[in-house]
Amino acid sequence: MPDTIIIDGLSFSLPLFVMAVGGIFSEKSGITNLALEGFQGFGAFTGAFAAVYLYGVFGADSVIPYWASFVFAVIGGGVFALLHALLCVRFKADQVISGVVMNILAMALTSFLTKRINASIFGNSGNKFMLSASSRITIPGLSELPVVGAVFRDIYPFELVIVAVALVMWLVLYRTVYGMRLRACGDNPQSADAAGINVYAVRTVAVFVSGCLSGLAGMSFAYSVSAQFSPDIYLGYGYLSIAALIFGNWSILPALFACLVFGFARSTGAAVIHGLGLPSSYNDLVRTLPYVLTLLLLVFFGRRNRSPRALGQIYDKGMR
Amino acid sequence: MAEPIVEFRHITKKFPGIVANDDVSFTVNKGEIFAVLGENGAGKSTLVSALFGMYEPDGGEILVRGKPERITSPRYAGTLGIGMVHQHFRLVSNYTVAENIVLGLEPVRKVCGIPFVDMKKANRDVAALSERYGLKVSPTDVTGDLSVAAMQRVEILKMLYREAEILIFDEPTAVLTPQEIDAFLQTVKTLRDSGKTIILITHKLREIKAVADRCAIMARGKLVSILDVKTASTDEMARLMVGHDISFTTEKAPAKFGEVVLDVDGLTVKNVAGYDAVKGVSFQVHAGEVFAVAGVSGNGQNELADSIAGLAKVSGGTVTLSGHDITNATVREHITAGVAYIPEDRHNVGLVLDFTLRGNFPLRLYDSPKYSRGSIINYREYNEQSARLQEEYDIRSSQGGETIVREMSGGNQQKAIIAREIDMKTPLIIFMQPTRGLDAGAVMNVRKYIIAERDRGAAVLLISLDLDEILDCADTIGVIYSGKMSKIAPASELTAEVIGEYMMGVGKTA
Repeated sequence: MPDTIIIDGLSFSLPLFVMAVGGIFSEKSGITNLALEGFQGFGAFTGAFAAVYLYGVFGADSVIPYWASFVFAVIGGGVFALLHALLCVRFKADQVISGVVMNILAMALTSFLTKRINASIFGNSGNKFMLSASSRITIPGLSELPVVGAVFRDIYPFELVIVAVALVMWLVLYRTVYGMRLRACGDNPQSADAAGINVYAVRTVAVFVSGCLSGLAGMSFAYSVSAQFSPDIYLGYGYLSIAALIFGNWSILPALFACLVFGFARSTGAAVIHGLGLPSSYNDLVRTLPYVLTLLLLVFFGRRNRSPRALGQIYDKGMR
Repeated sequence: MAEPIVEFRHITKKFPGIVANDDVSFTVNKGEIFAVLGENGAGKSTLVSALFGMYEPDGGEILVRGKPERITSPRYAGTLGIGMVHQHFRLVSNYTVAENIVLGLEPVRKVCGIPFVDMKKANRDVAALSERYGLKVSPTDVTGDLSVAAMQRVEILKMLYREAEILIFDEPTAVLTPQEIDAFLQTVKTLRDSGKTIILITHKLREIKAVADRCAIMARGKLVSILDVKTASTDEMARLMVGHDISFTTEKAPAKFGEVVLDVDGLTVKNVAGYDAVKGVSFQVHAGEVFAVAGVSGNGQNELADSIAGLAKVSGGTVTLSGHDITNATVREHITAGVAYIPEDRHNVGLVLDFTLRGNFPLRLYDSPKYSRGSIINYREYNEQSARLQEEYDIRSSQGGETIVREMSGGNQQKAIIAREIDMKTPLIIFMQPTRGLDAGAVMNVRKYIIAERDRGAAVLLISLDLDEILDCADTIGVIYSGKMSKIAPASELTAEVIGEYMMGVGKTA
């Protein structure tokens, strides 16, 4: 049983985490990002569409559709996020409203498009794209270790990608020129501007990155949670990762910790219900665990955290 | 022959309702300290903002090193070697000193083609620069924790790191203590001697006299005169700036003390960090008395004022107003008891910036029957009060009572607060740093109000970092040092030197 807790916990935590990293990019640059939910859904939609389309070309067992789906999910999430950037940066819209609108738009648009595409391209009337099951990797040697061996057993390939991406993103945010400028834009855009930094460009790129990483996360959920793309992808994981990045105080490592707590709460709950032999309808109860935990954590940690100083502020060069 | 480096030619800039600059022309020479003097709203900030690329003038042109330039952004100004320290610093608070200085021009170490910031080199460069110009900073300190003076040094180093040659300072001393001002002026001289050109915007004559070579005087958007500072007298500069003579001492009749109004006994107040900032302070203020508290910034003045006004919690001792104990009473109870307060932080405590001027006046008494019937606002009374106070206190704004307060100048914002508080006609009125950041004309006005309040029979508690102001207004002076009143004496018995010693904590304890 501890094995399934670890394996399921990680496969849920890591996509959540990479999405939170995207959120950190956007928010550290000063753009409030409530749209992660919509980004991941839209990314999963484009990725799943690409996968299903490519099944017809390469066959359902080929690895090409699998990896291509992630590439297209990243692109789709990123491009969709540019709409949020356009509204918030170029047109100086209210970022909270824009974020909420993005979520509603993603949900409506992908549901509609999925049905239309199924009807006109694949000739069925479903509202979902069925994906073939993802392969699992077990690392020889390490997986033989007692207890922690489970960490290296039955890994989804995307989990490795996420760990690598997160590491690179950490370096970009804290060690590179771009990262330094990005964080400056979120604290004091006036000073960044005066230092010769194009605040608009930095923020647009940051929102684009958050869309790309959310797309990656959305595609991962599509494979791990249900092996399909359907409107069920909008279960609030985007909001959960926002909660994680807030508990993580807008820092990458603490956000990882928060995501792990959420993931393990969920997998432990599922294991307990399974172990007690309760009917599967109780699984819905388990799904609420991360959210209940969010409420509790908010009570204890909510006020200690400090958001980027210029978060949510519309930056207009002309204003003093 | 002096070599011109910046030339303003017929600069005109209009804002809705106001001509900020009206056909202003002058030349700044390389290697001089050029001061731009004028009251608040004279258009001096607007003018140099155009040089720094923050506004484009509607008419006229700017020449830099003899070439006409359209300076469209601060970025472009930077490439021309122009740097500016704004009145409100532009620093990233959670960055280190070195990170702030190199931001936008970071030393880069490429790894696999990815530009990483070379922080070691940044720290070294900043340390070297700091050494070279004698501007003491520690590269790895977090900027948000620094004192105001240290942040200003960071701003100066930021310009020097970019090898700026024309350095603009907008009201650089408004936020500094007297000692810090002296150090700053010394820095400015050092910079000039190393070949930089300095443009100094200020309304403080003493500083211009101390460092500037030449000085342009502006009033109401127009250039009034350009003076050679060495040969011009302070009186002449002041007269040109204000348009009429101003005397630097407030005339006042001898004080007539009445009953004790404010009785502070053994007052102890903790600061935000939880330490005792005011430690067992006792004093009394009578009706018709100006009791002034002198001291260096950060010795408990804020906590003292806030606790008497009811904004901070008293942890020990009592505050009594005309015989009623108001220790730890609510703000509402303080208002009813009769405490008026002009706070130091105008923007966060004194005003609701996004309200209209008219809406800011009744903030203290909005629920009294005069301003509301039941829960319905009496706008007739609002309008009447707004018109009356604007007239009486000469509060200027673009749209009268309908002006959003955020858009008003600092001097007029302060006038609005003072008008509101005085209008309550309370037995006790507290002035906390009432003239900070105001120009000479406005300063004299505020001091007149302080004396007028005293003569009306109010007890006046004046807390100020400006020793001139204290000597000018006070009947009784208390010196606060490290949270304790180290000296209380009638103003006539104290000299500036003696007060200074107590302020530094070296005076003999009374």
